[in-house]
Amino acid sequence: MQRRRALKHLLFIAGGMVMFPSCWRDQRKSSIALSNLHINSEEENLLAEIVGSIIPESDSVGGKGLNLHLFVLKMVDDCHSEEDQHVFMRGLRAWNREMKNFSGSTFVLADPPQRHSYLVTIDQDKAHPLSGFFAITKRRVIQGYVNSEYVMKNEVIYELVPGRYNGYADA
Amino acid sequence: MANINLDSIKERTFDAIVIGSGISGGWAAKELCEKGLKTLVLERGRDIKHVKDYPTTNMYPYEFEHRGEMTYADKQENPIANRCYAYREDSAHFFVKDNEHPYIQENDFDWIRGYQVGGKSLLWARQVQRWSDFDFEGPGRDGFAVDWPIRYSDLAPWYDHVERFIGVAGNRDGVNELPDGQFLPAYPLNAVEDYFKRVLASRYTNRHVISARCAHLSQPQPVHIEQGRVQCQNRVLCQRGCPFGGYFSSNASTLPWAAKTGNMTLRPFSVVASIIFDEQKGQAIGVRVIDTNTKEETEFYSRIIFVNAAALNTNLILLNSVSNRFPNGLGNDNGLLGKYIAFHSYTAVMSAEYGGELEYRTDGRNPAGGGYIPRFRNIYKQETDFLRGWAATFSATRNPASNTSGVGASLKEQLLNPTLGNWRVHSHMMGETIPKESNRIWLDGDRTDDWGVPLLHIDVAYDDNDWKIQADYFEQMTEMFDTAGFKNIKTRKDDRRPGNDIHEMGGVRMGLDPKTSLLNKWNQLHACQNVFVTDGACMTSTATQNPSLTYMALTARAVDHALDQMKRGDL
Repeated sequence: MQRRRALKHLLFIAGGMVMFPSCWRDQRKSSIALSNLHINSEEENLLAEIVGSIIPESDSVGGKGLNLHLFVLKMVDDCHSEEDQHVFMRGLRAWNREMKNFSGSTFVLADPPQRHSYLVTIDQDKAHPLSGFFAITKRRVIQGYVNSEYVMKNEVIYELVPGRYNGYADA
Repeated sequence: MANINLDSIKERTFDAIVIGSGISGGWAAKELCEKGLKTLVLERGRDIKHVKDYPTTNMYPYEFEHRGEMTYADKQENPIANRCYAYREDSAHFFVKDNEHPYIQENDFDWIRGYQVGGKSLLWARQVQRWSDFDFEGPGRDGFAVDWPIRYSDLAPWYDHVERFIGVAGNRDGVNELPDGQFLPAYPLNAVEDYFKRVLASRYTNRHVISARCAHLSQPQPVHIEQGRVQCQNRVLCQRGCPFGGYFSSNASTLPWAAKTGNMTLRPFSVVASIIFDEQKGQAIGVRVIDTNTKEETEFYSRIIFVNAAALNTNLILLNSVSNRFPNGLGNDNGLLGKYIAFHSYTAVMSAEYGGELEYRTDGRNPAGGGYIPRFRNIYKQETDFLRGWAATFSATRNPASNTSGVGASLKEQLLNPTLGNWRVHSHMMGETIPKESNRIWLDGDRTDDWGVPLLHIDVAYDDNDWKIQADYFEQMTEMFDTAGFKNIKTRKDDRRPGNDIHEMGGVRMGLDPKTSLLNKWNQLHACQNVFVTDGACMTSTATQNPSLTYMALTARAVDHALDQMKRGDL
């Protein structure tokens, strides 16, 4: 339902950036135009759930609400090596299989505490088979989040024109 | 040539031609136009109008497709440009792309270029320090290169002249090695920079930390307001071009000033292939220009020519200006044109933490970047096993930062609530390099660029002296950091290539003797005196100072001399 609602707007805002949907009726493709990654809508939805678990909704909008999964896709597609892209795709495709081993459920069907403990496990275990995928994803989610229009305007304010410098400000 | 009538020649004839519109070319244009000379300013790139052509200047980080990062494909296509610290998504449009303007590297050399009106003055780091006689007397005293034909007293009034116009924030520090100037209020050091300054003052007699002197309007004067510039707003997004004109660039300052006189004709898309030497007159009479779009060749004429194409391109133009009189390049009777290229060695970086002064933090942004440590090695006499020495930046910051560990609600909470940690301190080395004949550039015999201009070979490398300087920097800075009680001290060898400092100099050096130098003490070619070279190419040695201020002062001085000679009928 969420996806359908988003599609009605035709444009996605990924962390404040407008992205044009490509072939949005086609379930075999991602909702944004990508040059190197081949992502279907199921994988895209899964990534949205992962991103939403890395930075969850609370009293403020989280990673999913900011469409940061699209930002992650954009960055992995444009700013990473082919090798990184393979790691990313392999990790995304292995995600549910590993999750089932871990908790007996797919990620999308798991409840929030289950998802969280899965993420914590991968985050802390550098030898985990999904570690590479997770490092790329987490890094890009954090980047997209702290540099999002929402955060920069409402939470940790970014000043384009500070107009001052004080080297002895009170700590 | 038969179809070119006299009117056309007249239209293409000026009192003066300036090749290049960057930091020194802009100054030549301003000074020449102010003094009433009809001046043609040739720029190989496109026009960049102040503010209007700064497309990214008011963009927020989230408005950049990749949040400032260059794409992987761009990094593969443009490895040279991508190694420049300032080449980012907000400024990439002001840099030359590798494959558009190839050159041949005999040794690894990053040639960073900005082909547009304003050149690299849009992108520079804005640090401005005067040279002292300890620098001008260096080659003579230490026996390298050739003696400079000028001393500090020759340039001091021109430093004054330039500083007043561009606006320089700084303190009168009273350090002999770094003469004071005409300053706007400095950007003060912060708590830990001041602390480090006190530590050095108590421990050493000759090591100073001063507020970095920078070309920013900390307090604009009437002459700056008249340029249309206002107070720097501490954005520190300078590489995008500044809508306030808060820092000095040709675009914000000298070029509009020159245009206002009505004497300037600015011609973008005009690459100068060569300077035309008239064998009968025994002087240069103009330049051959290739329109970069149509590739059509046109000649322009003038009484005097200022070559300010940026150091290596100035060499290239002179090398490519061959005639019967000068078969090896204009003014190149001694075969030294293109030789003794030097630069600044930026191969060392330090960082550390400091747990003191925790009642303070930094707020806002400092356009000066922090502190500056003038060279203190080998000042009064040779005292180490290397020649010359190094200057260094020193800066401290304490901004709230986010802990990015963990996942989920706690991570989100951390990201939204940055906290203050220890102070972080940083420094990087700026080493003087010794010009030598083996560091040289020359033209390829066959291959040309898209405009028929020969490709440049660049053969420039570090030498043993550079590594000794690097070792000394690490040793001395570590000792100083240690003395200050800094913790977690880290030294890092920066493997940057020569050229990445963007301070390439020499090839057309100044000197007293035409047998061993190309330019006289007024920046005129010894052998073709109506051609002046006042960009980095003229530099006999490099000192440790950021060089742009000296180029600007040399340019203003040379124009003044040119005018005198023209009045007397000598030019």
